[in-house]
Amino acid sequence: MALLTGKPSARRQGFELAMMSPALFLLALITLVPFFSIIWMSFNDVSLMGGLTFEFSGLANWQRVFTDPDIRSSWLISLFYFLATVGLEMILGTVMALLVYSLRRGSNLIISLLLIPMFIAPVIVGLLGRFMLDPSHGLYAWLLNETGLFDGNILGSVGSAMVAVILMDVWEWTPLVALIVLAGLASVPEDILEAAEMDGANYGQKLLYIILPSISNILLVALLIRAMDAIRFFAIIFITTNGGPADSTKIIPIRLYDIAFRFFDLGYAAAVGITMLAFSILVANAFMKLLKRQEKRS
Amino acid sequence: MTAPKRWFFLTVKLVLLTLLLLWTLVPIGWMVLSSFKPNSVITANTPRVFFTPTLEHYVSLFSGGNSLWPYLTNSLLIAGTSTLIAVVLGCMAGFGLSRIRIKGKQHLAFWIISTRMAPIAAVIVPLYLLFRYLYLLDTHVGLIVAYLSFNLPFAIWLMTAFFDDLPPDLEEAAMIDGATKFQAFRYVVLPLMTPGLVTTAILCFIFAWNDYAFAQTFSGPSTQTIPIAAAQLLTQTGIDWGKLLAIGTIVVCPMAIAGLLVKRWLVQGLTMGAVK
Repeated sequence: MALLTGKPSARRQGFELAMMSPALFLLALITLVPFFSIIWMSFNDVSLMGGLTFEFSGLANWQRVFTDPDIRSSWLISLFYFLATVGLEMILGTVMALLVYSLRRGSNLIISLLLIPMFIAPVIVGLLGRFMLDPSHGLYAWLLNETGLFDGNILGSVGSAMVAVILMDVWEWTPLVALIVLAGLASVPEDILEAAEMDGANYGQKLLYIILPSISNILLVALLIRAMDAIRFFAIIFITTNGGPADSTKIIPIRLYDIAFRFFDLGYAAAVGITMLAFSILVANAFMKLLKRQEKRS
Repeated sequence: MTAPKRWFFLTVKLVLLTLLLLWTLVPIGWMVLSSFKPNSVITANTPRVFFTPTLEHYVSLFSGGNSLWPYLTNSLLIAGTSTLIAVVLGCMAGFGLSRIRIKGKQHLAFWIISTRMAPIAAVIVPLYLLFRYLYLLDTHVGLIVAYLSFNLPFAIWLMTAFFDDLPPDLEEAAMIDGATKFQAFRYVVLPLMTPGLVTTAILCFIFAWNDYAFAQTFSGPSTQTIPIAAAQLLTQTGIDWGKLLAIGTIVVCPMAIAGLLVKRWLVQGLTMGAVK
């Protein structure tokens, strides 16, 4: 009967609504309450110093966010960290996927082995990084020293510390990009590749004119997923350098954590947090647009 | 392609692949290997591959005053509960969201995905204040709520994608045969959803199990999880590497195995349904 009565009405969809409501109610409770709290906090002086104090302060925090040179330098460091990690992960991940894809045998085992880092807790990645780079008994520190490439405290020197935390992130997340790209490679039209080969195209030409264009959408998905997580997680830097030496690795989440839980200035931290939130909303927006475009295609 | 050229390409390929495998696996292998080394070998000035293996670090982790057991139970309890809630509610909501036709569904979806993408550092600030007012600091409930803030939207979103893949014809056929919507969901759709449910559950569990930032901020003496136990071994006076590497091995191994078990659905899970 329902099929014949035309327009879908709210009543006919009662079951669907009932199924959705518990999750949406809980999600609203645990996300909207913090969301409005963080906005309200950003207009107040919220201090944890000697008990909790809450005092309206107007736009004071917001003025600081846009004038504080420390915040500006942290955003610049974040931008560099972000471009370096995500850029390297995209390139290395694509190479990894192309290599695995070209294998005739054993690709299943090899990709499984290559995927392991992304299941490791970021804090353990950081600790393992410290172990490998420990100046007195780390394996990588020893190798770098023996080959004369670097003989200092890697995580304790400006420059090398940044390179190290970037490479730890790259180590953990390149496999994710590879996994996504590999899924895309399966959809590259085989017959066009063969035709190109008959016409004498070399690997570089096939890559540039056939393979890469047909996985461009997938590459964009990988890019967005990584862009989102790059600003979400900060445990690797938290546990290795905690922003040092001399603030050279102090990306914005680390700066925020310092403001909130070292200087106990929660109101100011809230304002910084909202600017980060704005960034992630932009990424989410791009992700939605991409999904819509894919839906239209299929 | 000529034969020498073919050999050249094959060699390049194998060399690159070997390098990538070494880059990926050496740190993990070295961690697991070193967790069986006596301290004198770990702290030796030159790295050593051959030694008499010992279980002393694992034994000392699970015995004595500061044992790993409470941390392990906290981790299992907190990650397990948040996963269970996220998957049950996410599965229901995913089905509803996938089948419902309402105006503004786009906005609803956008709200869900943006809560999943919210930076953890930004979420910590208001949650800390709210938990302080509600006496939820250093409680299991507090951490479960914190993990639900990213696992619940993740589960809803991913389950919606899995339900979207299943054509509604099946339920419609069941309903023509006289089944109610609930019966069609329970007996026709749900049994086909096992891969989706398992993938969602495993990923939610991994996200919660691996968290450090929330646990570092919200947990106290009675709720600390394993990543906190690992971080606590970093002290001013020196680092007990043996114990640390043993904890690392314990944290990593089960998650790597669980993750690889659902490898087939991993892409879909980790791209939140954008890639199949």
